[in-house]
Amino acid sequence: MSYGKYFVIWIWLIVLLAAGTFISTLPISKTTAVGLILFVSLIKAILVALFYMHLKFERLVPLWIVAGFPFFLIGLATLLVFAGIVSG
Amino acid sequence: MTTDAHSVHTGDTSTGIPSAKLGMWLFLASEVMFFTGLLGATIVLRAGMAHWPRPGEDLSIPLAAMNTFILLSSSMTMAMSVAAVHQADSKKIRLFLLLTILLGTAFLGVKGYEYSIKFAHGHFPGTALFWDCYFTLTGLHGLHVLAGIIANLWILWLTFRPNFLRSDGHRVELSGLYWHFVDLVWIFLFPLLYLI
Repeated sequence: MSYGKYFVIWIWLIVLLAAGTFISTLPISKTTAVGLILFVSLIKAILVALFYMHLKFERLVPLWIVAGFPFFLIGLATLLVFAGIVSG
Repeated sequence: MTTDAHSVHTGDTSTGIPSAKLGMWLFLASEVMFFTGLLGATIVLRAGMAHWPRPGEDLSIPLAAMNTFILLSSSMTMAMSVAAVHQADSKKIRLFLLLTILLGTAFLGVKGYEYSIKFAHGHFPGTALFWDCYFTLTGLHGLHVLAGIIANLWILWLTFRPNFLRSDGHRVELSGLYWHFVDLVWIFLFPLLYLI
């Protein structure tokens, strides 16, 4: 990937950072806010993993399995956060 | 291909993945489990508590957002350093590694400033369950940032050795994977501790 493309990903990450922070100030229900903020964080994480960690360009199945497992766990943890905080 | 210097040093295997890279991913998988356990503990403790600080009540969202900005930026410079390896551009490898190290140090500086404010207000580990979680998660994450800075400093030193690209160029990518992982952890710590 070129430097320019990494910069474009960075712009997206900063926009999402601003969006997540802004959402936390909105007078919306806690469930909606938590859901939206975690969704924005998940998109950020996916952008970093796919482009900065080059997972988008890995064609090797074993690496996807090794790499995919932690991200599956992150997804699971995100769901737990959502369920835990909304109910708490 | 199996006899050239690159293959010898990266240890290409029958899986088609260099051993060092596979090893780094396995290590990162174990690291995810390490942090997932701590995050899970925080969520369970939070669910059982009558009082938990609201967003912005005890922690500064602007400071944390600035630190997120710094760490996301450092991920970009780290990725650019890996790109420079592929272009065999030693000057840019060093420049982007140095920027990554400086941004990582800035992150720790802001975190240290944040800690000093908390200490001044009498918030220490052990004073409340929230602060136990906060200091455990951010402290262990901070140690990971420090480890990443040390790894990058070591690689920066390696770049000045002859034949760096042939013998140790792949280390930039390995260190990069670790650095991005540390960024990923913060991407989840930031909303969990500060925003929700």
